[in-house]
Amino acid sequence: MSTLVQETAPSTYKEGFHDDDIKARHKVPKGASHEVIDYMCDVKGEPDWMRAFRHRSLDLFLKATLPAWMPGLRDIDYDAITYYASPIDKSANKWEDVPEEIRKTYDKLGIAKEEQKMLGGLGAQIDSEMAYHNIQETLSKKGVVFLSCDEGMKQYPEIFKEHFAKSIPPEDNKFAALNSAFWSGGSFVYIPKGVKCDVPLSVYFRINAEQFGQFERTLIVCDDDSFCHYVEGCSAPVYTTNSLHAAVVEIFVKERARCRYTTIQNWSTDVYNLVTKRAFVYGKGIMEWVDGNLGSKRTVKYPSVYMLGEGAHGEVLSLASADKGMWQDAGAKMVFMAPNCTARINSKSISGHGGRASYRGLVQVNPQATNCRVQVNCDALILDASSRSDTYPVMEVDGDLVTVEHEASVSSVSDEQLFYLTSRGIKKEDAVSMIVNGFIEPIVKELPMEFAVEINRLINMQMEGSVG
Amino acid sequence: MTPPNTTQDPAWLRQQREQAWKTFAALPLPTRRDLDWQRFDIRKLNLDKVADGKPSVTEKLSTVPAPGVIFCDMATALAKHPHILQEYLGQLIAPDEPRKFNALNAALWNTGTLLYVPAGVHVELPVEILYTFTGQNVAGFPRTLIVIEPGAEATVVQKFTGGPAPGTNGAPSVHASGTEVFVKDGGRLHYISYQDFNPNVYDFTLKRARIGRDAEIDWVIGMFGGSFQRYDIECEMAGEGGTSYMYGVCFAENQQQFGQFTKQHHRAGNTTSDLLFKNVLRDSAVTNFTGLIKVEKNANGTNAYQSNKNLVLSEKVKCDTRPILEIESNKLRCTHGATVGRLDEEQLFYLRARGLPEGQARHVLLEAFLEPVLARIQVPAVYQEFSELIHHKVSR
Repeated sequence: MSTLVQETAPSTYKEGFHDDDIKARHKVPKGASHEVIDYMCDVKGEPDWMRAFRHRSLDLFLKATLPAWMPGLRDIDYDAITYYASPIDKSANKWEDVPEEIRKTYDKLGIAKEEQKMLGGLGAQIDSEMAYHNIQETLSKKGVVFLSCDEGMKQYPEIFKEHFAKSIPPEDNKFAALNSAFWSGGSFVYIPKGVKCDVPLSVYFRINAEQFGQFERTLIVCDDDSFCHYVEGCSAPVYTTNSLHAAVVEIFVKERARCRYTTIQNWSTDVYNLVTKRAFVYGKGIMEWVDGNLGSKRTVKYPSVYMLGEGAHGEVLSLASADKGMWQDAGAKMVFMAPNCTARINSKSISGHGGRASYRGLVQVNPQATNCRVQVNCDALILDASSRSDTYPVMEVDGDLVTVEHEASVSSVSDEQLFYLTSRGIKKEDAVSMIVNGFIEPIVKELPMEFAVEINRLINMQMEGSVG
Repeated sequence: MTPPNTTQDPAWLRQQREQAWKTFAALPLPTRRDLDWQRFDIRKLNLDKVADGKPSVTEKLSTVPAPGVIFCDMATALAKHPHILQEYLGQLIAPDEPRKFNALNAALWNTGTLLYVPAGVHVELPVEILYTFTGQNVAGFPRTLIVIEPGAEATVVQKFTGGPAPGTNGAPSVHASGTEVFVKDGGRLHYISYQDFNPNVYDFTLKRARIGRDAEIDWVIGMFGGSFQRYDIECEMAGEGGTSYMYGVCFAENQQQFGQFTKQHHRAGNTTSDLLFKNVLRDSAVTNFTGLIKVEKNANGTNAYQSNKNLVLSEKVKCDTRPILEIESNKLRCTHGATVGRLDEEQLFYLRARGLPEGQARHVLLEAFLEPVLARIQVPAVYQEFSELIHHKVSR
């Protein structure tokens, strides 16, 4: 049994507890092996094509190398990680049916039944499996599907097979291959034509096991003229050893549809968070990623939008806060494949207490993408001399009928700003908090209120003691 | 390519050349798998086929402008001022640095210039270096060393031309140049360097400067000719209060390929840097700007700016821009911007509404786009030459 270790995480990380009551019902030996895949397929009762897909993906993972620009991942010991663990036998759709010890964990995290009231649907994943998935009756009557990804594969095999791994094939990158081999849990969402799902669907991801790899897989299909807002949050206990979270999220936004995907990532500082997120957007569709990264040891995540149809729009709002021991390598990718598309990237990062925040972005305009326009803004705030901020944008333009604009700035909390506030009787710590809150305001105001409150709470906690 | 003949060299230089040759020989030719080279195609370049024979090189230097100033070709410098070369050469471009073409220059340089300005001396008139190399399938390797002692000031104009005779096809000629610049405390250097090579020249240029306390450098770079040019220009602000201004202009047409790799390296506090690179792309031209601002720990009070603006005039061009920031100081202001766009239709309309034919209106806007860089040229004759080069291309 591990105990809370103060050195690896600030004591303010209130999600850092772990529940030893939760016992894995299914757990496999450590290490990424074909045997684990066979075990998972048997337990889950998966079709043969998925078994073959998983095996092929594992081979790709074992062969794949890391790109040279992606440093800081060399110390991951893939053999020390458990790739599948489940404390439950099946996903419940009534909160009462969720095993009591898991319900207790979620109660402690504040993800109570009450929260369902303002959500269209709620999902909760613990380790490898979804413990709970439910959706409001009004939405399910309209044909909205909100299931765990495993259930989605069983109940809607046609929609699933048509889209699964189409935007992120296992060949895409090492961690997409790893996820493809061991994926388990995550959400399957289908919004039928013309249906506007105006209350958010929300999922909470929790890692409870130690030295564990969580590989949830999410597939969202927004059919023509539909709308959906999907919100995810995550946390993990604090251990002395490292865990791995390598999710894959694929989104298909069909014609004139709109999808917003909001993430509040608050992993403990022993989690490697290596996530591939991609949306394919068709004619006049709109994809918006709101990506908040506040935790983890190392985050590598660049939500991307591939604009495949004329007039598509992509948007990424990225907020990263790198506190002690963290390296947030976040950003965005905008790929233009069709005419008259537009996109916007707005990134804000804060680094303090020795943390490192990097923006890494790609804007790629292909020859057929005429009359496109993209604007990128990156602002970084660096709070003390031990911290670091980087900006690595790449813009590749083929052709002339485009407008690409990129602007970035890095600055500190200036003495003038502090003087102004402190001379009005505001304590220095509060003044710094105010300045930081003002800095991130444009992104925070895009969040659902409960999440905005949560973000402000987390940021203020990270600010504590940051005035030198 | 054959290893350098070092029989005439002093021991320190022989060592440098041999080390550099080892570096060159050990490194493979860059390919599209290398991040910096993704957009470039240099397959036509065959280093094995480039003759080892010396190209015909002429270097015209203006007269020595002030007492105590040393301004001479490298052969003279080696004979008469070996101590200066020994002290500075290779300090900023190390022979074991893993860059293939820069190592090639360090191993084989055979021409070049030394400018040494003693402390406190202000050289009023610009010193000029006109460099031409001629021949097909040949290689030219000039090396330049500039030392501005404390409180001194000078203006350098360096022009590179030549290559295979225009109209000849076939194997390209290779040109690799290396320049090291030292501006000591309180010194100032105005440095204009431009190339208008003939087609079928593949050029690899590396310029590095180290700027002392309260010293200042301003660069204006012109990239016009050749088939391929990779231009690395880097400035290290090593002393408090140093300043670097980098301005670049590039007119890329036909199948020309240009890579611009800049570095503003703030190692000391209260240093300032500004950068503006403007590119016009037409036909099937390719450009890649990669600019890094690096601010070291404790380089507090840094003020750094960087801007890359690209004007694209054809659907077949490829234009990349990568403005990078790496910041480890928390008392600073650092900003960058990059744009890729076409001519502004509203501006075009404005001019046409005032009676300018469309073609002429486009020319005016193109020249106006590049003007902010040209305006930094403080030598009237050189400004004039830049203007004419651009005007000639614009009105092709």
